[in-house]
Amino acid sequence: MNEPQFGDKIRHILNQGLSLDPRKAERLKAARELALARKRPEPVGALAWAGDMVGDLGGWTGLSLRVLAPIVMLLIGFGAIYTWQQNQRADELAEIDAQVLTGDLPIDAYLDRGFQNWLKTRAAEQ
Amino acid sequence: MATRSELSAFLESVERRAFKQAVFAVRDEEAALDIVQDAMLRLAEKYGQRPAAELPLLFHRIVQNAIRDWFRRQKVRSLWTTLLSSLSPGRGEDDDQDPLETLQAADGSNVQEAPAEQVERAQVLEIIEQELMNLPARQRQAFVMRYWEELDVAETARVMGCSEGSVKTHCSRAAHTLAAALKARGITL
Repeated sequence: MNEPQFGDKIRHILNQGLSLDPRKAERLKAARELALARKRPEPVGALAWAGDMVGDLGGWTGLSLRVLAPIVMLLIGFGAIYTWQQNQRADELAEIDAQVLTGDLPIDAYLDRGFQNWLKTRAAEQ
Repeated sequence: MATRSELSAFLESVERRAFKQAVFAVRDEEAALDIVQDAMLRLAEKYGQRPAAELPLLFHRIVQNAIRDWFRRQKVRSLWTTLLSSLSPGRGEDDDQDPLETLQAADGSNVQEAPAEQVERAQVLEIIEQELMNLPARQRQAFVMRYWEELDVAETARVMGCSEGSVKTHCSRAAHTLAAALKARGITL
């Protein structure tokens, strides 16, 4: 007798021993009914499809962790980068304004084309 | 997704075998009933939305985890019992279950078996169940999943969290040990 045949015979015998005394059978029945009562109600129509999708992603908890959390993190990241860039730009403008206002040169000099050309050629020489 | 009636039919079809498997593992019928109840609740609460075809594998895995959890709790409890009984000798034994209860339950299952063939069959069943209990846990688990629950090798490997090769080895060893034990007790199948 090979292993599967032996297994089949054992299964056949074990299945004959499945009758339980009423108390245990009743206990199992009560456990089953309790479990069924805890099952979430079945969604209807479109909700069923959404439920299946959510279920595939690991339930509502899984959905929030796997999908919503990265999106929220991404949005927070974009917001932080935008704010930082705006602050940097404001600082640069403030520094230029401060240099212009505190310099010895009159502001009108910066509007003079010849002066700008002189600044460029001087910068190139240096 | 499994409907309520599908889940109910599935649980009804599997609950007695699950109970027996838990008894083989923990050797305590009350604990086995608790294990099956916990497994049913976990299946319904956490996986009740899964398709009906996925329920068997999920349920078997949950039952095996519940059995493992029971052994962990027993380990912790026995540690505390040992510690407390060493502090106050003779007191810890009062909390144990009365062994007569188990004996009475076991005897009661045979009371109504009148015809000789039925008695013999019941005896063979009892011996097979005893020998299954005597197998190493992993061998028994693999053998029962493969040949009683009729899972294939891949499914059994998934439930047990091991390779398919390990399942085959466990099954083969279990079958040989069981066959030898039955032969030694004069039983031919």
